[in-house]
Amino acid sequence: MGLYIGDKMMKYEEWSKLARKVSKKSLWMLHFCTGCGAIEMPPVMTSRYDMERFGIAPMATPRQADVLLITGYLTVKTLRRVIQVYEQMQSPKYVIAFGSCTINGGMYWDSYNTIKHLEKYIPVDVYIAGCMPRPEGIINAFIKLMELIDEGKARGWEKYQKYYDKYKENQRRVFNFEIEGENEEY
Amino acid sequence: MKSIELIGKGKEMHGRAYIEVMPGELEDIIKKLKENGFNHFVMLSCIDWLEEEKFELVYHLWSYEVKEHVMLSVRMNRNNASMPSMSHLFPQIETYEREIHEMYGIEFDGNNRLTPFLLENWHHTPPMRKDFDSEKFVGKLYESIPFIGEDENEGI
Repeated sequence: MGLYIGDKMMKYEEWSKLARKVSKKSLWMLHFCTGCGAIEMPPVMTSRYDMERFGIAPMATPRQADVLLITGYLTVKTLRRVIQVYEQMQSPKYVIAFGSCTINGGMYWDSYNTIKHLEKYIPVDVYIAGCMPRPEGIINAFIKLMELIDEGKARGWEKYQKYYDKYKENQRRVFNFEIEGENEEY
Repeated sequence: MKSIELIGKGKEMHGRAYIEVMPGELEDIIKKLKENGFNHFVMLSCIDWLEEEKFELVYHLWSYEVKEHVMLSVRMNRNNASMPSMSHLFPQIETYEREIHEMYGIEFDGNNRLTPFLLENWHHTPPMRKDFDSEKFVGKLYESIPFIGEDENEGI
């Protein structure tokens, strides 16, 4: 399996390495603005921090985007929409999770309505810690993602395909949570 | 204050009128206040007094004429709590009642729009009640879901 460039055949591994090297320089981003993280996006997009220097551009629809940026806590209701958006994106696709809330719940650790670990429902490639992260942190995370893509380590989307049943099982559990035993009270 | 003179009871609290009302007379009092200039319904809030086994509903009204804030407090028993709906007086009360029905489980007779509002697929004790153990619920639901992946390097 390979690809001809002129009369020289490139092996699939070489070709995908080249493709990764090129594609990391134009990451198109869909920012799914939940929670408070959305407020940090305008400075990153506009002239002060100007993320287009790095080839990152905001995109309107999931089908055009490479990166899904989740900016903050997710309720169960929003998670359903996030999963729809994630599944609409085309591979290769990457997820950047933003702020403490996506890591372990953050300040909503005991809330009845926010999911705590985003990683249990969709694969996350890069986390940004902080509450809220600064614009520099966001750009730093994108650079980190570029390095991971270049090294072939950003494989969240492959993981989602590989463990699709397990992810679906986790999602089903959080959406259709029923009390075991009728008399148990919370 | 104008509202206290109008209703004939209540007291002043932090610059606002605070009037305790029985559930039966609430409709007449809101009607009377509305006719006398208190025509801005600000909000409806709910308090769960677990020790006293009571729910307290607070109807906030505002008058632009005399610039006065009235709080009408209604108490009811916690078990099978229900109230007549006031949404025919101010239409926006319908949405407040919908939220309070979802978060506290209070029934509002006459409001036929008490459908799920903010929560998704909720089958448990209404979450804003004091006897709802949020931490236990989190442990039961979110913390019991396993992480996915065999080794740490997979997919990062």
